[in-house]
Amino acid sequence: MSRQRPRKQRFKLRSFYVWHRYMGVTAALFVLIIAVTGVLLNHTEDFQFDSHHVKSSWILDWYGIKAPAQLQSFHANGNHITLMGDHLYLNRREIEGNYYRLVGALYLPDMYVVAVSDSILLLTEEGDIVEQLHAEDGVPAGINAIGTDNNRRLVTAGSHDYYEADRDFLKWQRRESGGESTIWAEARQPDSLLTASLQAHYREEVLPVERVLLDLHSGRFFGRAGPWFFDFAALLMILLALSGTWIWLRRRR
Amino acid sequence: MPRNLLVTLYLLLAGPAALAVGTYQTPDEFLNQAFSGQPPEAEVIWLTGAHKDAVKDILGHRYATLRIRYWRDVTRSAWILDEIGKEQPITVGIVVNDGQIENIRVLVFRESRGWEIRHSFFTDQFKSAQLNDDRQLDRHIDGISGATLSVRAMTKLARLALYLDAATRDRDVAPAP
Repeated sequence: MSRQRPRKQRFKLRSFYVWHRYMGVTAALFVLIIAVTGVLLNHTEDFQFDSHHVKSSWILDWYGIKAPAQLQSFHANGNHITLMGDHLYLNRREIEGNYYRLVGALYLPDMYVVAVSDSILLLTEEGDIVEQLHAEDGVPAGINAIGTDNNRRLVTAGSHDYYEADRDFLKWQRRESGGESTIWAEARQPDSLLTASLQAHYREEVLPVERVLLDLHSGRFFGRAGPWFFDFAALLMILLALSGTWIWLRRRR
Repeated sequence: MPRNLLVTLYLLLAGPAALAVGTYQTPDEFLNQAFSGQPPEAEVIWLTGAHKDAVKDILGHRYATLRIRYWRDVTRSAWILDEIGKEQPITVGIVVNDGQIENIRVLVFRESRGWEIRHSFFTDQFKSAQLNDDRQLDRHIDGISGATLSVRAMTKLARLALYLDAATRDRDVAPAP
């Protein structure tokens, strides 16, 4: 009887040790993912994960991120000014800021004039913002179209009235009509190459790296079942800690 | 009773952030107040060449636009400038009189923290401040705990307004006959 007990205990310990080993191997992958993403998340600001975006197309596809199929675009001075979602582009260059409702775009000497977001945006030929003019700067409300008259001055058309700006866009004054000689900016779709390029760029500006790290850390990256797998991994880690401590204590005896 | 408790909890927790965001004074109101109801016509300064470098030196980055409009009478100029605190631009109105700050006021605050900079206990520190040769204010501005980035943005804008005032004053003063 006395010989049987240690043998039984040894068998129990060995069996526990085998379970401990299997649990360790199973949890290893999860531990790696959680540990690596955890360390990276602790340094989000240092590595600017919140302002850098994922460009990998398979990850973007995995998240179901699509560029808007519809875009508004105007052709001026051989270039396209395009609004896609809330991103504004001069050809392929994105203009700083978020925008809505592109009404028109045209080119005056040395400068693009873009009617967007209920304001007038002035851009250099390179796409730098010269100024964004709002209602408090005299910009008329409810602009539906913009154009240039025969003096190359900016003319805006609202529902009922027309305005023109001086050369520096500092003063606005009402005019009787749009003027027969005024050439109004007309929308024109960019070619398929530019459209595809803008759509790719748009997708690459949507998903912050931090979001992916958070989803990897919590398991959400792997779909609906992901968090359950990570819960299971957490449970394994708890059991590992307990079984490891228990084995260590038994061996000491 | 539970409803009152919920409202109180909301005001305590979300209230300060919700109340912080908003327009405290429209640019038009600010200009009318600065020039007794008769603001002069707007002028513009282009941030090119030396101005571009100086502005970058003051802000630590280039200004969001290439030209800034301002309003000037004889010795006073008014500026409406934007600078990002943490994530959103803070719109500030500044009146400079004879090279000294006469008034500085937060017009639009869009951040969720740091709104305390709009109070007079903070803005009064800027009164009569001037720019020294290093383009720094001639005095120390006490910070506000929890509003470090907003304080920094406000201080930068004060320096920027003083610099731009000096840059445009030389230009706008008519030569002696």
